[in-house]
Amino acid sequence: MEKGDGEEIEKIENRIDQQRNSDKKVAKNMLISISVAIIPLVVLIGMIAFLFGPGQSFLMIKSANPIPEITIERLEFQDGKIVAFIRNTGPSDVTIAQADINDRIQAAAVEPGKNLSRLSVAKVIIPFIWNPGEPYEVGITTSDGIRFHKSIDAAALAPSPDIKQASLFAVIGTYVGVIPVMIGLLWFPFIKRLSRSKYTFFLSLTAGLLVFLGLDALIEGNKIASENVAGVFNGQMLIAMVSIISFLALLYVSEYLVDRANAGNNVQHKIFSDPQLTKPSSLTSSPSLHAQQQRLKQLSKPTIIALMISIGIGLHNLGEGLAIGAAILLGKVALSTFLIVGFTLHNTTEGLAIVAPLARANNKATIGRLVILGIIAGSPAIVGAWIGGFFYSPIAAIIFLAIGAGAIFQVAFSILTWISNNNDSKNTDPKNEADSKERSLPKKKAWLDLSSIVGFVAGMIIMYMTSLLVAS
Amino acid sequence: MAIITTAFALSAFSTSSPVVNVVQDDPRKKNIISDNSNNSNINDPSLGHHITTTSHALFDTTGDILDPTSQVTSGKRIAIDPMKYLRTFSYGRVSTNSAGDTSTTIREFTLIASDDKIMEVSPGVFYNVWTFNGTIPGPTIRATEGDLVRIHFVNNGSKPHSIHFHGIHSSEMDGVFDMVSPGGQFVYEFYAEPFGVFPYHCHMQPLEEHISHGLYGVYIVDPKNKPRPTADEMVMVMNGYDTDSDKENNFYTVNGIPYYYMHHPIQIEKGRLVRVYLVNMLEFDPINNFHLHANMYQLYRSGTSLTPDEYTDMVTMSQGERGILEFTYKYPGPYMFHAHKTEFAEKGWMGTFLVKDENRSMNESNSVKSITNTLQPLVGRGSD
Repeated sequence: MEKGDGEEIEKIENRIDQQRNSDKKVAKNMLISISVAIIPLVVLIGMIAFLFGPGQSFLMIKSANPIPEITIERLEFQDGKIVAFIRNTGPSDVTIAQADINDRIQAAAVEPGKNLSRLSVAKVIIPFIWNPGEPYEVGITTSDGIRFHKSIDAAALAPSPDIKQASLFAVIGTYVGVIPVMIGLLWFPFIKRLSRSKYTFFLSLTAGLLVFLGLDALIEGNKIASENVAGVFNGQMLIAMVSIISFLALLYVSEYLVDRANAGNNVQHKIFSDPQLTKPSSLTSSPSLHAQQQRLKQLSKPTIIALMISIGIGLHNLGEGLAIGAAILLGKVALSTFLIVGFTLHNTTEGLAIVAPLARANNKATIGRLVILGIIAGSPAIVGAWIGGFFYSPIAAIIFLAIGAGAIFQVAFSILTWISNNNDSKNTDPKNEADSKERSLPKKKAWLDLSSIVGFVAGMIIMYMTSLLVAS
Repeated sequence: MAIITTAFALSAFSTSSPVVNVVQDDPRKKNIISDNSNNSNINDPSLGHHITTTSHALFDTTGDILDPTSQVTSGKRIAIDPMKYLRTFSYGRVSTNSAGDTSTTIREFTLIASDDKIMEVSPGVFYNVWTFNGTIPGPTIRATEGDLVRIHFVNNGSKPHSIHFHGIHSSEMDGVFDMVSPGGQFVYEFYAEPFGVFPYHCHMQPLEEHISHGLYGVYIVDPKNKPRPTADEMVMVMNGYDTDSDKENNFYTVNGIPYYYMHHPIQIEKGRLVRVYLVNMLEFDPINNFHLHANMYQLYRSGTSLTPDEYTDMVTMSQGERGILEFTYKYPGPYMFHAHKTEFAEKGWMGTFLVKDENRSMNESNSVKSITNTLQPLVGRGSD
């Protein structure tokens, strides 16, 4: 017994030794890999030092005269003055020399100062009695005599960030975002009554709507990038990158939520099978845990998809609000009732997108939950209008639009995979007779059947037709 | 804290101005006075003060002011001093060649072309200027009918250049077929005929490029037998600068710097004859013109006659056209002159004459006060 114990101890000691040795090995390996990783960086730093040092004259890379570039990012028409927001987007420092309106030289002030280092911004204020509704071109001439200009189709007084304007934007955002989505949610009972094939049609229709919205956001972002964002920021690439990041991030969040929901359901079953936990005392001791489990149980996969759609549409509506706010700020649109009606019709379909997956949730969708989803999807239009109308920046705009596009594509992707999984996994919903009929049919990819393709196409066409109402 | 005024001085006198403010402590005023050249009279108590003190809008800023209408250039690398250029006539190094009964006056000039300088052509704007003797326009060459004019031309530039004088001379002195290479020299020699006012300019191809960069100047030939009456004489060249090389002028000027005579009015005397030798050297735009306010002038087209062609306040000239303008002001005060092609005016081609009456400076001061007073109610109305 003792000897055996001794052997056992020896074994353990050996194991500990081995462990120590391997720890040392790991540490050594780590050190080597770190130093190996650093070597190229050291060489790189040396190379840069060389280029900035005497290497420059050696390589003769000094060009004669870098061409300056400034970008007029935004024009604002204020009471008795026009303000140009400019950025030095060229390769070198610039000095602003003169300003003009419609190619006629004007006295102006430049704040904080006329010397702009690379990528820095300034505000050129030109006192000028402008006429509302007329086109204007503002020019900025640098000290090298090069003139940069930006035009606007119709001058309109820039909204000032006060309560009145903020509430006006809130009303517009409500009309454009919240109300249409809420109207769309009223389709919930209708969707719930549909047979499987018709239901698949509507799900695909939703996917079609979303893909259209995603493409729309990308196109809009690209337009802003090419018109208002300086080349130095590589706007198009920024859009592509941000949309992909947004897509992947939301995909991860969505999967995580689904996993948690599934796990929650399992835990729930365990809790109730465990007699100890069903004791009243333990329940009262952890009411929050219980509530959490309850909530998680309710979050079935369709609910999560509906939530993700709401988030995606919410991000999209943020972009839409941004565009509307900015359009008002930049004097691009005369905000008309017609435009609001157009957006309302256009966005009503977004509510449909939310209720479609929800209609197949196992648990009841309460009115309260529908309203919450509607607010998640619709209210960002208000926030967007505020941002766009008060603090517009083209770079922020394309980033928001790209995030929205990525979100929308993620949702469309979720819906399409959900359709195919649902149909493939021979759903045994007793409520739906159509299912039992379909079960006998030969199995095929659900998103390839006729009703889903027709639905998808119809969704895009609906969006295209309603978008004509808001075309300016 | 600085203040910019957005209207030109004289527009303040228009009753249609929505707001007229009177600012006594305009800090910019100091700058202008400190930059005061021999002629500038902004601080003239009789008339000057309202030029800087009235306008239709005032704006406070913590930043920099960009206002070529009232700011002077830095002055370090300015393409020309327009006030000095205005009344400077170069008569050359004079000698006489006597042969028998007749003696000929010989006038010798040296003109050096260069094309590498970067100079300030408008406040804060620097441009690669090509010049004769370092300025745009080049020196005003003046001779009397029948004089022998001898131009020693040196090309210090990096491109071939020449000088082409308008007037009557032989083919080889026309500066068209023989270009002077970089580092080369040439002597142009011709008799001054006929009397009149002429441009001279480089004739190297591309012509438009060589002229628009600044290789030009004025050549005046005075009549020999019947000299023009004495007058306050000045030369004015209308030109432009295409600083961004898009074949359109960014700036228009008279005598080289946009708006210069707006903040440095040309002082003339009431009742005294003024004679302006006016030459249009504008490129890209087919026409240019000269409009004088509150007066009329006798116009001698090309200056080749002693009889005026027209009594007018507007003359329109095509590229290379020129004339002599004679006028006398009846009333003292500031008067504008500018291109009535208003685009050019609003890109720099405007200026002012400040007509002075030495005997009545006190009365004048009073009249200005009364004008200012009548405008006072507008201040209240505008700021409502």
